[in-house]
Amino acid sequence: MTGIGAGLLLHTETGTGLLMQTGIGVGLILQLGLGALAVVTALLAAPSVRSRAGGILSTLIAVTGFVTGLAAMLGSTGGLVIPIALPMDPLVLAPDRLGGLFMLIVSGVGILVSLYSMSSTRGPDASRTAWVAMPVFLVGMQLVPAATDSVSFLLAWEVMTLGSTVLLLADHASRASVASAGIWYSAMSQLSFFFILAGFAVLAAASGGTSFINLQAIEPGSAAANVAFVLFLLGFGGKAELVPLHVWVPRVLPEAPSHVSAAMSGAMVKIGVYGGLLVCVRLLPDGPAWWGIAIMLVGGASALYGILQASVSSDLKVLLAYSTTENMGLVFLGLGASMLLRGYDATAAADAALVAALLLAVSHAAFKSTLFLGAGAIIHATGERNLDRLGGLGSRMPVTAAAFGIASLGAAAIPVTSGFVAEWMLLQSLIHGGRQDGAVVSVAASVAMPLAVAVIALTAGLALLTFVKAYGIAFLARPRSPEAADSREVPYLMRISLILGALAVLALGLLPGPIAALVATTVSRDPASAVQAVGLGGVSLPGIGAVLDPIMLVVLSALVAIPVLVAIIISARRYPHRTVDLPWGGGGSRARPRMQYTATSYAEPLMRVFDDVLKPSRDVQVTHVAESRYLVERVRVEQTVSDVIEIRLYRPVLNLFQRYGVVVRHVANGSIHRYLSYSFVALLIVLIVVSL
Amino acid sequence: MFENIYPQLIGLCTGSLLLTSALMVWRHSLLASIRLLALQGIALAALVAVIGIAEGEVEVIVVSLLILSVKGIGLPWVLSHQSKAAIKHVQESPRLNPTAALLAVTLLTILSYVVVSRVVGLGNTSTGHAAPIGLAMVLIGFLLLISRRRARSQLIGFLLLDNGIATVTFLTSGGVPILLEFAFSLDVLLVVLILHVFTRRMSTKFGGTAVDQLRELHD
Repeated sequence: MTGIGAGLLLHTETGTGLLMQTGIGVGLILQLGLGALAVVTALLAAPSVRSRAGGILSTLIAVTGFVTGLAAMLGSTGGLVIPIALPMDPLVLAPDRLGGLFMLIVSGVGILVSLYSMSSTRGPDASRTAWVAMPVFLVGMQLVPAATDSVSFLLAWEVMTLGSTVLLLADHASRASVASAGIWYSAMSQLSFFFILAGFAVLAAASGGTSFINLQAIEPGSAAANVAFVLFLLGFGGKAELVPLHVWVPRVLPEAPSHVSAAMSGAMVKIGVYGGLLVCVRLLPDGPAWWGIAIMLVGGASALYGILQASVSSDLKVLLAYSTTENMGLVFLGLGASMLLRGYDATAAADAALVAALLLAVSHAAFKSTLFLGAGAIIHATGERNLDRLGGLGSRMPVTAAAFGIASLGAAAIPVTSGFVAEWMLLQSLIHGGRQDGAVVSVAASVAMPLAVAVIALTAGLALLTFVKAYGIAFLARPRSPEAADSREVPYLMRISLILGALAVLALGLLPGPIAALVATTVSRDPASAVQAVGLGGVSLPGIGAVLDPIMLVVLSALVAIPVLVAIIISARRYPHRTVDLPWGGGGSRARPRMQYTATSYAEPLMRVFDDVLKPSRDVQVTHVAESRYLVERVRVEQTVSDVIEIRLYRPVLNLFQRYGVVVRHVANGSIHRYLSYSFVALLIVLIVVSL
Repeated sequence: MFENIYPQLIGLCTGSLLLTSALMVWRHSLLASIRLLALQGIALAALVAVIGIAEGEVEVIVVSLLILSVKGIGLPWVLSHQSKAAIKHVQESPRLNPTAALLAVTLLTILSYVVVSRVVGLGNTSTGHAAPIGLAMVLIGFLLLISRRRARSQLIGFLLLDNGIATVTFLTSGGVPILLEFAFSLDVLLVVLILHVFTRRMSTKFGGTAVDQLRELHD
């Protein structure tokens, strides 16, 4: 593993100006150029063509990024060198294989989102500001994985954050909750940025340079590396929605326009994961054991907390937002496990865990962006995102229902989808990782691995419940509100991007072998010994001795299922179905939508089990009939689940700041004389001090 | 002949600069302050002219003419452009009483002498000896800024501060290139014009220009 961009730097020592080295360089220049063009177009275009033009240019940006990322992942080198006047290393954009993979993920989501937004945006979502911010956001995200020095990394990071903040605020005028979400998002992303900046500053001070080659020279066990690791974990963990820095997620993702939530959850969050990989795999590989354990703890806690909150939520987008926290938790769990195992020389299991984490990131990008786009389609059709008021959309919006269903299977990690492959591989590496050649590799690993397996098992079970609820309540049964009953299928461009997303979920799940082998080349020192493709797109882990071949599985189960299905169909023909209205209704037909399960009632048992963790607040109001106390006219139940971490951890800190703000108001009371006096006194003090 | 009276001329000019500054703090009438400012501009121009003649540089003499036209005539004219009658009635009620203000002026002058002699040394030249006057003018200008309530009086404090900076420049380095000086002067003129318009709008909108009543920020 050579230094990132090292060859490029050597090539361009003598060069000046903006250099186009190779195809990658041309790709990066094209992305920047298209981004600028898209911004200008959004500024100048008439409202009637703005969405169309902006969407086409955004799609082009994403396609360019996709091709560039693919080339970089397949091993092309090259990029851009941007010399700067400041006394530090030049800005170099040159994605390596790992960067290429993440550029691919981000721009893949970008393609879906751009296609979708072309016809989904209307009103404030299609404003000039929003369409200026969209390409800025996309280009920023696509350039972060290309950066090979801390300055350009931070620059691209800030561009990405700026673009997403503006996009989030699109609808601030009509809903107050958007403004509050905007404040939370800005504060939390600046906090993340601060931690990352501090982390890079510590490393740069210790190594004497800002480029990643210089930073790689630092000894991972040194004090500077330890401090930087903690700072990076806080910074990138905040972006990757890990507990306890996830508080912005349940506010921001639901309030943003749906295509923006899809881009944030599908792509931007992955940049946080990329940051984690950059630190743990590239800059400071082979760190001490506690790094791995810390990441596993944070990841495990996030996975459990995220899926618990998701399982009891009845707001579709809040549910998806919390589920993102869960998935990112699992990704970091895999990363931590791989670091821990690598420390004990269990290389095969470590590589498998790392590849599993990456596969999970890839598949999460596919299914979560499809799910958010599907939620957007539901909102587009009904204006509702409360599951308790949806229902019966399956027959009214068949394409959306199918895409959302496939993506839900992925999110619940059911076979033949991408989520299953990733979680299977993660479990394999965790189960086999604790032992090597029959001997226990270490006490820490043999304690951590079974615990991690338990966390994944619980998470997978809850995820299944969550997505059965999300799909079943929204798409099956009868509509629970007139809006749901009147819904109609969304325009064709939105359908196309939903179908593309669902196809990606299936492709990743049916052909895991080649994909996993390709992903393994981005991180593993010896990819062939870690992961191999076998059979019809199957995956094999030679170091562990596990094989998974989904297509064979499908063929086998089809061989079993087809005779059974044929038998059922024949018998159904022989004995036709007798329709009886409501056999238990005593002859009456009084089945009303209100008799169905709702999202809240479906999750009620879970709420009971996890009452102590979730601490829901319930409010039951019973209105009696005036004549008799024994007859009830109506019962109104209101239940809210608040974020425990927000109340216990964030509120006290925010209150402290509030009090500080009130005190400081006396010092800065708006009087210009007072401000002038401050500077006058400061000047006098400086003069007196220098003359002493 | 000129060599003999040169130190006295420098002393006269800088002395009148300091005197006008102190008087500006003492007087409360806006009209008087504007007249003192004009006088100070003329003294500053004279100082520059003296330095120019002593060093035999035509450029510096041209600069002195520029200063005379901008600081001696232009700025005071802009400030008193409003009807004289209106200005006559404007009486400042400062936040500092005259005795305390004059005492503060004394202390600030002493401080600037101490600072300059400690930090850069006074040197042997007569201009070097006079250099603390410039710093004192800067500090007195600042004092005016924080002790005056009305926007227009604060403007005078700002101009006094600017004159102080110019004085320091000419006394320590013999002046700046003519182009820079031209740019500075135009800058100050522009600032004053803008603030003047601003003050007018303030008095038409709020009925007064007392800055300390403007506390609340609005979108």
